[in-house]
Amino acid sequence: MTSTDTAAGRMRLRLGEGQRSVLRRWAGAGYPNEACGVLIGTGDAAERTVAEVRRARNLEPRRSTDFYVLDPEAFLAADREAREDGLDIVGFWHSHPDSPAVPSETDRARAWPGYVYVIVSVRSGRAGEIRAWTLENESFQEGMVIA
Amino acid sequence: MTTDIETGGSASVAGRGARVRVRIPTPLRAYTGGAAEVEAVGSTVREALADLAGAHEGIGASILTPEGERRRFVNIFLGDRSLRSAQDLDTTVSEGDVIAILPAVAGGAGAKERRLAELRSEIPEVTPAEARELQREGALIIDVREPDEVAAGTPVGARRIVRGFLELRIEEHVDSTHTPLVLMCAGGVRSLLAADDLRRLGFSDVRSMAGGFDRWKGEGLPVEVPERLSPSERERYARHLLIPEVGEAGQLALRKARVLLIGAGGLGSPAALYLAAAGVGTLGIVDDDVVDRSNLQRQILHTDAGVGTPKVDSARERLLALNPDIEVRTFPERLASDNAERLLAGYDVVVDGSDNFATRYLVSDVTTRFGIPNVHGSIYRFEGQVSVFWPGRPEAPGPCYRCLYPEPPPPELAPSCAEAGVLGVLPGVMGMLEAVETVKLLLGVGEPLVGKLLHYDALATEFRTFRVERDPACDWCGDHVESPPALIDYEAFCAVGAA
Repeated sequence: MTSTDTAAGRMRLRLGEGQRSVLRRWAGAGYPNEACGVLIGTGDAAERTVAEVRRARNLEPRRSTDFYVLDPEAFLAADREAREDGLDIVGFWHSHPDSPAVPSETDRARAWPGYVYVIVSVRSGRAGEIRAWTLENESFQEGMVIA
Repeated sequence: MTTDIETGGSASVAGRGARVRVRIPTPLRAYTGGAAEVEAVGSTVREALADLAGAHEGIGASILTPEGERRRFVNIFLGDRSLRSAQDLDTTVSEGDVIAILPAVAGGAGAKERRLAELRSEIPEVTPAEARELQREGALIIDVREPDEVAAGTPVGARRIVRGFLELRIEEHVDSTHTPLVLMCAGGVRSLLAADDLRRLGFSDVRSMAGGFDRWKGEGLPVEVPERLSPSERERYARHLLIPEVGEAGQLALRKARVLLIGAGGLGSPAALYLAAAGVGTLGIVDDDVVDRSNLQRQILHTDAGVGTPKVDSARERLLALNPDIEVRTFPERLASDNAERLLAGYDVVVDGSDNFATRYLVSDVTTRFGIPNVHGSIYRFEGQVSVFWPGRPEAPGPCYRCLYPEPPPPELAPSCAEAGVLGVLPGVMGMLEAVETVKLLLGVGEPLVGKLLHYDALATEFRTFRVERDPACDWCGDHVESPPALIDYEAFCAVGAA
């Protein structure tokens, strides 16, 4: 957890305790496959607030234990509903079964700038740390997850 | 036609088209001045996107390929319908339709990456500069890349063990499982896996070089281009390359080696054939004799057709027929005090296959002076003996021939083969033992026959080894000798004529 980190200049992600426990539950339920979903909220590059966490299907057909492809239909629905509520898609979350909550090279290669990528580590079915990352100049920078 | 414009977008499509709303995802809003939604005009999705691209420079290339296909990492929806194919983009649009552009969201821990991430957390990684510093302090850099990668260069001083043989060959390079090791590959991934292998074998100080050789080279650290065997050499010496004690490094050492054979007779024939076959790069042969039919009972370098020709020419032809890659230098001279130093200069090992005491003393004295090993063989009817005389041996000086025989025997007690006869196959055995000792010396493997005399009795089928002590008071190699005496008249010393 990085909530005690006070380094200046890092992106801050407001993710409530309740939202975190929901993400952990979904990540654990998806184990041993990767689980994923959408983060709806508000904010700018410096700080984003998550208003709602959503779960989406992982459409990766063959290796869903270590890859994910977020269902674009779920993305579309979340995007439409977020706009209706005056909100926006601020990012996505996915789980790393038996891996640290650190972006992989695959994550980096497939990432888009402007979104927050939340990774939930799951070890033997039990979700652990949650860390947030943003792509800046082709590499991931870790943000601070705060309540 | 210009239409609308809450966002500054414009429609450039001629004629009538429907006005549609295009939802822009966060990553592409840099192109729309931050707008989350813009209008565009067109009668189809493709036309609307073209209009969008015309109004917002840069956005078109993020959505469509130059051929007009949807980019793989972008999803395009018209309403709820996902437009996947090129034809889908030609779908007609109506006034007020919503086109949503959504990035494809994907990623994942990746099994391979997961493993690498774990290894990175367990195995220390060092930069090339740090590896260089560790190397200076005694660490070994192990280059685990494939031979074709190494051919373009390797860190100076690095050991080369291809990854597939790492566990089998690492012990040839290190004396202790505590030796600090830095594994290196091209980019730093294979080295991490290799480091893990060695760690499991019990090596305690194993690191991986981050960025591998690419980064080493990029940072301007010293590189050497290693010598390599050619594909045909790999084929020829395949059975050598399988032996850890030889391998490519050993075979290259043989290729670089220069061995001088004194005599192309009974001992020199098998020795020369096997040394040529083994790939000793330069073989010198000193012999002033011509082939006689009576030689062919044992001197297998020569042929019946060669009777009457110089032995060195006959030998050269036969050796190059066996191995055309080597160099054979021929000296049709009789070794004597006035040419011995010239003939022996530059050789790594001398194989003495001579048949007379004068030459043996001369070979011993010059090799002692040059500090190089003298692989000695001699034969008598059914018996033979072999030894390596090497007072200049760096790790432990051995005796010279004079330590064993300070004085030549009386001529009547030392008959030559021509006088006493010899079983034809016997010099074959002894000459091959000389070849074995020579190859061992060149490879630096095993225990050479230094300070020992191997005696073979063919009738009793008995090999016996005798210790031969170095004489500290020897006039030629003793402790008091700072430089050996000048060469003498060996014929007079032995009081024998040519054998």
